[in-house]
Amino acid sequence: MASEALRICIAYLIVVILDTFVLSWQCISRPIVVGPIAGLILGDFKTGIILGASLESIFMGISAIGGSIPSDWTSATFITVAFTILSGQNTEAGLALAIPIGTVMQSISGLMMTFWSSLAPYWEKLAVSGKMKQFIGQSFFVSFLMQSVSAVVMFFAVAYGTGGLDALLGALPAWVMTGLGAASGMMIGIGVAILTSMIWSGSVGVFFFLGYVMVKFLNLSTLPIAIIGIVIAVTIFLQDKDVIEVKNSIQEKLGAGSKSSDEKGFFA
Amino acid sequence: MSANMVDIKEKKILKSMFLRSHLTFLAFNMVKMEANGFTATMAPAIEEIYKDDPEGKKEAYLRHQNFFNTHAVPFAFIAGLAYALEKQNKENPGFDSEIINSLKVSLMGPTAGMFDSLFFNGLRIIAAGIGIGFASQGSILGALLFILLYGIPQSIAKYYFLNWGFTYGTSFIDQIFSSGLMKALTKATAILGLTMTGALTATMVNVPLNWTVDINGAQLVVQDVLNSIFPGLLGIVLVFVLVRLIKKGVRPTALIVGILALGLLGALIGIF
Repeated sequence: MASEALRICIAYLIVVILDTFVLSWQCISRPIVVGPIAGLILGDFKTGIILGASLESIFMGISAIGGSIPSDWTSATFITVAFTILSGQNTEAGLALAIPIGTVMQSISGLMMTFWSSLAPYWEKLAVSGKMKQFIGQSFFVSFLMQSVSAVVMFFAVAYGTGGLDALLGALPAWVMTGLGAASGMMIGIGVAILTSMIWSGSVGVFFFLGYVMVKFLNLSTLPIAIIGIVIAVTIFLQDKDVIEVKNSIQEKLGAGSKSSDEKGFFA
Repeated sequence: MSANMVDIKEKKILKSMFLRSHLTFLAFNMVKMEANGFTATMAPAIEEIYKDDPEGKKEAYLRHQNFFNTHAVPFAFIAGLAYALEKQNKENPGFDSEIINSLKVSLMGPTAGMFDSLFFNGLRIIAAGIGIGFASQGSILGALLFILLYGIPQSIAKYYFLNWGFTYGTSFIDQIFSSGLMKALTKATAILGLTMTGALTATMVNVPLNWTVDINGAQLVVQDVLNSIFPGLLGIVLVFVLVRLIKKGVRPTALIVGILALGLLGALIGIF
């Protein structure tokens, strides 16, 4: 099983890395594409295609929206196709194997995410230094490493079963997993806080709370909030425009020599 | 607004940006999400605009290292718009670069929602439905059709969105400039930007407190108490503490280590 597992994992790695860079996202990593690839590698193209179709129907309703990039359906398809072709069993048996492996992979990549996130200040420094070749090169390398971790986990799980990995995760005290998970969730706060500190300005800062309250109390999604925000912004823009025009016409009447220090009063 | 506004040099930059816009998820992480992809996409524009202005270049790179997250197709539109804005920022001293940050944060939330549903729940389901029909009979046409119907249109859409972002952005800002309304626009975009940042904080920042206090046998769930005072109180407190620390000059590395320590310590004493 080890040599097939190795081939499968290399193919998995190639697919998940290319998927984020080729034709947008979640295209070539979908079961309908992965199935034939896995079939081709294991010498049964047709079975791969057919399994890809049935797995696509199973995973059709599932997609990743927002934060993380789950490779659930990708690994599940590789494992299920491999298991079905190599052992001659049915799809259900393969899927039954794929789900625990996917869970283990997810916990480990969740653990690793905390580490990758801590690179953010490094990226910022590198970008500001203007060394774009290094910035992009190293970003690619890290993207590759991020997926490699999952591929290695998958290899051990496929070749030797999930027992060892479960034991490994079990050996970690529970608080480490919980703590890293909590930290990873709160880390988004840093990115948001940097952004907020850059666009915050005293006179309009209160609008932050408007957006916040619209989500937390009114349960609106971002589109209606954006529309309400645009309505307010346009209204204030037009008002300011009128004020500027009135001011300009007054200045014209008074002659060019008048002072412009009253500007602050208008826009405070 | 038409193609004749874009000169040959800009066309070349836009082409390079289009190719790079496929790097959306480059070194994706939880702190800045798609910031690396955005920086890489903006690089050709920034290098050209600020080629003899090292300070401006630094600031521009720092700007685009900000937290960013949206669907991959509007990503290209926002990058095209950011290119037009960066150009204005260099050419017009009256331009306030805060507009760039405000517009980026205003656009990312709603576009993410719209395009996620359009592509993930719309086009993908249609393409998969057609593909499955062929694939279930063992034909490789299924996979190929899926890529053709779902993958290729996204790339094509990115190309047009990037160019639209640039041309509309340029003509819009030109109009604002010629009518002397830059200051009003800066304020209006700041209002929209801050509203969307507030919404972003509410949807994404989460302090997973899991702490129950036992008072004479009565179970008091601290998170529930806090949420009944103000929903998501801890998230907003966290962000404002972080903003305060950033304004005081605390380095992001220290913040990340601090959050990590807080998470682990909190879990150790059992409050997470």
